[in-house]
Amino acid sequence: MRAFWEVTRGWTLPVAGICLVLGGLLGVQVHTQQLRGAAEAGRRSSALVGMLTSSQNQLEAQAKEIAQLRAQVAKFEKEAVSDRSGGQRVYQELQDSRLTLGLLPVRGPGVEVELGDSTMRKPDNEIGGLDWFLVHDYDLLETANELWAAGAEAVSLNGQRLVAGSAIRCSGPVIQVNSTPIASPFVFRAVGNKETLASALNLPGGVVDRLRSATLRVRLTKKDDLVLPAIAVAPRFHFARSAAEETP
Amino acid sequence: MIFLPIVALVAGFLLAYYRFSIPSAWADYAAIAILAGLDALIGAVRARLENQFDEAVFVSGFFVNMGLAILLAYLGDKLGVDLYLAVVVALGIRIFTNLGRIRGLFVRARMEAHRARHPAGADLKPAPPR
Repeated sequence: MRAFWEVTRGWTLPVAGICLVLGGLLGVQVHTQQLRGAAEAGRRSSALVGMLTSSQNQLEAQAKEIAQLRAQVAKFEKEAVSDRSGGQRVYQELQDSRLTLGLLPVRGPGVEVELGDSTMRKPDNEIGGLDWFLVHDYDLLETANELWAAGAEAVSLNGQRLVAGSAIRCSGPVIQVNSTPIASPFVFRAVGNKETLASALNLPGGVVDRLRSATLRVRLTKKDDLVLPAIAVAPRFHFARSAAEETP
Repeated sequence: MIFLPIVALVAGFLLAYYRFSIPSAWADYAAIAILAGLDALIGAVRARLENQFDEAVFVSGFFVNMGLAILLAYLGDKLGVDLYLAVVVALGIRIFTNLGRIRGLFVRARMEAHRARHPAGADLKPAPPR
């Protein structure tokens, strides 16, 4: 024991003591930095994920409620119509207006058009030019326009019904339809005369021709039975009023 | 007994790592303190190799330098000048200088041992005067 103290006297003990303190400081610092990094990253992403899930849940619940209420309204209307004669025609008119507005799901024959980004690889020596190989908002607009022009009675794009107020626009990396973001592949479903619709799209120099020449993937299929969803939110009129009733 | 300080260093690290953390506002000052402590430790090793070690100088230097470094960094914070950079640069230079001296001492010791084993080694330069 005495020999031990002889050896360690002088410098080993103080250095060891200081080393203990320094090691402790190092440990505390490393631990704190790890906590700090983890806390920051966790805080940010978990808050965002929480916000996203809660708003998605809210959206789903509201969509369900809307569907339920619409079904209820339809039931009441049917009951009201069956009471009175002549109400049948009013009811039919109401249903037609609702179909046009997109308030009711639609079913019927038509075509399905699928547009996808190009599978070609961008040449290495080319700078930029990636835009050429992507489906853009104006491609979708042109296709939708062609479908309407060919007499489509109802059109949907990736589950979003296109109605009079529907906008298709580019918003960064995604495209928004009815203010809902969608991404490639883009699937149009159009109810109408399927032969007319298909031949209108396939015109030489037409939409499909142009898109294919830009190496985009285009798949056009005629369907006997398509089901198009209703729009999620009914339009509301804040400024527009009927002018027909006011005229004397 | 060179192992005792190393064991103490590791023990201190593990103990603090699994037990303690400090408010993140203090983390920057702790980093400066660690640098000052490291400087004192390496200075002590050099002093020991040069047979100039004095435990009072060492222990007081460790704590006083650490306090001064933190004080300077704090003052810089209050004045809006990045004075902690001055601390980091000064301590960094000192640490490198001391490490260089320690390396030089080791190399010289090895060369002397070599000359002792091979007295006729004329191909080796004589050791410069200490």
